[in-house]
Amino acid sequence: MQLTIHASGENVQVLSYLLAKNPDNPYERSIKGHLVRFFYQAFDETNVKATIYVVPDSIALSRTGADAYDITHYINDREFAVSSIFLSFIRSALATALNGQPKEEYRQWVNHDFDFTFSFGPVSSELSTGDLVNLFEPLGFSMTIDKELSNKSPKYITINGKTTLQKGLRQLFILIPVIDNYKHYYIDEKEAEKLERYGEGWLDNHPQKPFIIKRSLRFKDVYAQLEAEKEPAQLPAAKRKTRLNDLRYRRIVEMIETNKYKSSIVDFGSGEGKLATKLGFINGVQEILAVEPSERESLKAVKRFSEASKDESFIVPQNIWGSLFYFDERLKNKDVMVLCEVIEHIELERLSKVMKTILSDYKPKLLIITTPNKDYNEQYSLGHSLRHADHRFEFTADEFHSWCKEYAQQYRYNIFIDGIGEEVDLLGSPTQICCFQRMEGE
Amino acid sequence: MNIKIPNAGIVLLIGPSNSGKSTFLLKMVDERSILKSEIASSDEYRQMVGDTDFIHWQQHSPDESEVLFQQYHQLSSEAFQLMDAAIEARCRLNKTTFVDATHLRDEDRKKYILIAQKFHVPITAVILDISEETLLTRDSERDQPRGKKRIKQQFQLFKKEKRTIKKEGFNKIYYLNEEALDHAFIERGKHPLYIEADQGIDIIGDIHGCFNEMIALLEKLGYEKKGDDLYTHPSGRKFLSLGDIMSRGPSSLMTIHFMMKHVDAGLAYMIDSNHGWKIARWLDGRNVKLNHGDEKTAEEIDGWLSILNPETAQYERRKIKEFLFNAPSHYILTKNSLPVLVCAHAGIKDEFIGKQSKIISDFCRYGDTDGFDESGKPIRKDWFIHHGNGQLIIWGHDPKPQPLQINHTINIDQGVVFGGRLTSFRFPEKKLVSVPSLYNYAGTENNPLIEWEKKRLDPPNIANYIKGYTVQTERMDKVKIHEDYVKPAIDLISTSAVPLEQLVYIPPTMSPVPKPSKKADFLEHPEEAIAYYRQNGIETLIAEKKHMGSRAILFIFKDEAASMKYTGLHSLGTIYTRTGRPFFNKETEERVLKKLNKDLHKAAYFNKNKTDYLLLDAEIMPWNLKAKELINNQYEHVAKNAKLGRFYIKRQLEESKIEHSILAKWQVENETKIGNAKRFETVYKKYCWEVFDIENIQIAPFHLLAHSNEMLIHHPHEWHMKMNEVLSTISSLFVQTEYKMIQTEADENDVINWWEEMTADGHEGIVIKPNKFISENKGKLLQPAIKVRGRTYLHIIYGMDYLLPNNLSRLKERNVGKKQRLALQEFTLGIEGISRFVQKETIERVHECVLGVLALESDPADPRL
Repeated sequence: MQLTIHASGENVQVLSYLLAKNPDNPYERSIKGHLVRFFYQAFDETNVKATIYVVPDSIALSRTGADAYDITHYINDREFAVSSIFLSFIRSALATALNGQPKEEYRQWVNHDFDFTFSFGPVSSELSTGDLVNLFEPLGFSMTIDKELSNKSPKYITINGKTTLQKGLRQLFILIPVIDNYKHYYIDEKEAEKLERYGEGWLDNHPQKPFIIKRSLRFKDVYAQLEAEKEPAQLPAAKRKTRLNDLRYRRIVEMIETNKYKSSIVDFGSGEGKLATKLGFINGVQEILAVEPSERESLKAVKRFSEASKDESFIVPQNIWGSLFYFDERLKNKDVMVLCEVIEHIELERLSKVMKTILSDYKPKLLIITTPNKDYNEQYSLGHSLRHADHRFEFTADEFHSWCKEYAQQYRYNIFIDGIGEEVDLLGSPTQICCFQRMEGE
Repeated sequence: MNIKIPNAGIVLLIGPSNSGKSTFLLKMVDERSILKSEIASSDEYRQMVGDTDFIHWQQHSPDESEVLFQQYHQLSSEAFQLMDAAIEARCRLNKTTFVDATHLRDEDRKKYILIAQKFHVPITAVILDISEETLLTRDSERDQPRGKKRIKQQFQLFKKEKRTIKKEGFNKIYYLNEEALDHAFIERGKHPLYIEADQGIDIIGDIHGCFNEMIALLEKLGYEKKGDDLYTHPSGRKFLSLGDIMSRGPSSLMTIHFMMKHVDAGLAYMIDSNHGWKIARWLDGRNVKLNHGDEKTAEEIDGWLSILNPETAQYERRKIKEFLFNAPSHYILTKNSLPVLVCAHAGIKDEFIGKQSKIISDFCRYGDTDGFDESGKPIRKDWFIHHGNGQLIIWGHDPKPQPLQINHTINIDQGVVFGGRLTSFRFPEKKLVSVPSLYNYAGTENNPLIEWEKKRLDPPNIANYIKGYTVQTERMDKVKIHEDYVKPAIDLISTSAVPLEQLVYIPPTMSPVPKPSKKADFLEHPEEAIAYYRQNGIETLIAEKKHMGSRAILFIFKDEAASMKYTGLHSLGTIYTRTGRPFFNKETEERVLKKLNKDLHKAAYFNKNKTDYLLLDAEIMPWNLKAKELINNQYEHVAKNAKLGRFYIKRQLEESKIEHSILAKWQVENETKIGNAKRFETVYKKYCWEVFDIENIQIAPFHLLAHSNEMLIHHPHEWHMKMNEVLSTISSLFVQTEYKMIQTEADENDVINWWEEMTADGHEGIVIKPNKFISENKGKLLQPAIKVRGRTYLHIIYGMDYLLPNNLSRLKERNVGKKQRLALQEFTLGIEGISRFVQKETIERVHECVLGVLALESDPADPRL
């Protein structure tokens, strides 16, 4: 991790005062065991060139992540790439320049433009060359990339332009973390606070400002980001999907509302609790059990539930840790059980045991199952692939119909099958729904 | 007079003041018939709490007298509270207590009768019937006379109450007059439930009239038939029946006679049981409903009695009845006089052990029942969950296909009458010996063994796991699984693991060398691994070359039908990673399994080994098969970054026109680092090759874990290595593992040289294990394996610069304690899980172990170890 500062033209030697670094002696400081080094390569009347680099203590770096119990947390590029870690190491060495506080007699040079070339690397970034140019060009820099093997390879970036030392460094201190491809570990949260101070006077006018701010503050909503990554990207119309989700929920709520028995509901695979929250507002519901095996999802659900419980009429669902592969006595004999977009995540062969547990042990009065309609995939031009990477199968309308019928007969339930979402000729609706109603007296 | 006192309980002395209660007890103490500590005296408790045993209130003015009376009353009340608490504690501990107080009022006696009932101990009354004159004379002679009036009152009360004591509920009452008292002595009863078992006892499960199987079992145990038709053991062993010797089976009467004869001769013991109790009550002429096979026993007995003359018949009937009625609720076996083992028919609570009462008898006969379910069957509560006094409890009653070991209890009813087995537990050897049933006498309807088999694959009840749990293993180890780690494990099982019916084993983690190498430039070295085992007394070790691949479990079935039988799933098996996820995509897995299945059949592997499946622990190569993403995203990326960064630093340093010695030093330093980065690149690249076809896949088994008929891990590692050679001739997918045995010091050096050679060019290293699969030192389990990784290889674990002296010295401070603990716990659970699976226990019990390993693995430990 290194940064080379090169200035040419008149009066460039004053830079040694702006940087507060003696041109005769290399500089070395240890920051928590990481060595920060600064040396001049050239120092003459028209050319000043200096490099600051860090020799990190790899052992100390790898100790930082207490929750890091994956080998990738130990062998990674943080030790090499220019990143916010690099910046936090070199900040105090460059403090005089960054703050524009040299000795009184050199103050006048703080706001003086020099012809600067900054080069730094290795840069670990997924941004395209175009993206990078869009970041530096509005600031008056031309940019070259010294080495580019592939989009994913580390790069060495050089920018050139007329600017003051302070402004140039401040811009780098903001843009390096924006460019860097970091994950959420090893990030100093204080970095975000620097945004305002270092961005003063230029960030507001930068056409990429929203992008810069969003990337800078990634750390804060790293969870939100992860969530975004999780959404299946292959579906062509994200908007439609959202709508479909809502349609699904609405239909399930209607089904329950019009059902005779609805005081207790089990939502299997409740995820982050979107459906369960809607169920909590149904009139006459007294108990909702939201069954989910993932802690991350459950935590989100809890948050959602407590949000909703500001409304007094809301019945707060109870989170239950579990899944369809286990038996849980607490789920027996409830009025309604919902499997919304769940069965397609289970191997078809395992499903028969799951259905047996539900229909012969849990025995809900009403069982609602929704699942994608495979016929409809044609509409998405998915070819032979399924709608989600984790789908173990998808049912065509015919397959779903005969599958439901088989269980209904075996366990004495009446069934009603319908579609949800926009219907297309010959293909049907994107989602299929089946209500299993237990026969009276059973 | 001879006063017989049971081994425990309350002895209430009853008599007015001065009747000689304390004197008698002290005399008994002198004679060593009782212990001083066995006496609870109200006078002493009064002194203890109030410094005096009596307060005179009578010869005072009325107001003073009232104050003194209240004082005495309060003193007495406090004293009795304390004394009664002490008596209760003694009863709880099954001790004898002689209560020295007057006990003249019925409520005073009633109190102790209730205490005795509450704690299931007998209560005896000893009544001291002394004349009024004697009482008055004695009173006038004592230090603090109670006064004539008071003595006379007490005597009147005594006379009145004496007549009703009989009906109050004492187990035994002794009346002593003055003369009898002088000659009375106390005889202490032995514990009626203790059996000295130092000679050896063979505990036998429910026989249910399976006479032939019982004889077969006794003969298998070494009992020999003597001239008088009695079976005796040459080394003096005796057998003990857990009851239910009759009903349902073919020869109930013969079995009863056999057992009765042996018990009478002091060669055997038998405890009470539900069927025995029912038959006894029927013989006693009570109105009982005979069912569950008891009607068959009754028929047999009636048929036999009807051909006898009436007198003999009556005699024989009474004999059987008394034999059954006299069977105690449970027995306690002692070894070196310590009560270490309890035998009860259906179960027992810890607080009942060593005691007798109706409630205890009922509990031991039927177990803990909690009402009835919808179909009218009793809902059994798991009484053994609460067991925890350290004694081993052997029980029967509830047939299980295999001896079920839970929480330091073992069920040995293997349903011989239902076509199962008749099991015995040998004490003190703690060995299980059984014989198969000759026939399913009870048929298929309501057959608990068939019911059990039907339920074997039922989804596990999540309530068993979710709040954390403890796994009790066959080896009597306990592994505690914490709630916080169970949850992520359940998440894993629910979302990404192979079906839990197939997930029967998760391999344990492996610790690196327990201590860092003494050599200056090594982090790990074989010396420390060998030293660990040598210090723990292991003579034969094995060193196996570590493959640079990914750990995999292969569960290969003979055919789909076998898979259906054991897992309820149509497939030829499964291949999964050490986190339980599918190793391959579906299509590749199917192809690999098909090929393995075909190759194994061609070699007649399943038939030769009489097995329905093969469970294998192996390494699958190449590494990038599983780790491709890791290599691209991590190692390659890291290498490129390091090279680029260090290259540019070199360039900048070389470019500098400033002359300074420190810059030269920095340059040298950087050169080393460039070298490290280049080496790093060569190390990880070594293990990757492209896989275009399954023929490029190599599977190197470490151990054969199980066949359907047996666990294979009792074989030493050398055997497993030989089996691997055999497997490698069976299928081209299997490869051998290089290994060396270590016995002598020369072997040790040979292995070290071998390790140095192979690791010099980047090979991962070796694993050193004791040859015996499960090795212990002084009862403590040893690490089943220790990995020793090569000096070069460790670059990709600890980073490209780890050998720099400043880095290495700090890495040597690493702590492997947690890793070692996890390795042992996971190893224990792994073995237990396989053992349960092979014994066809429920998937719920197998899953308990598997989930446990996954939970332990979600406990964060340094992954570099």
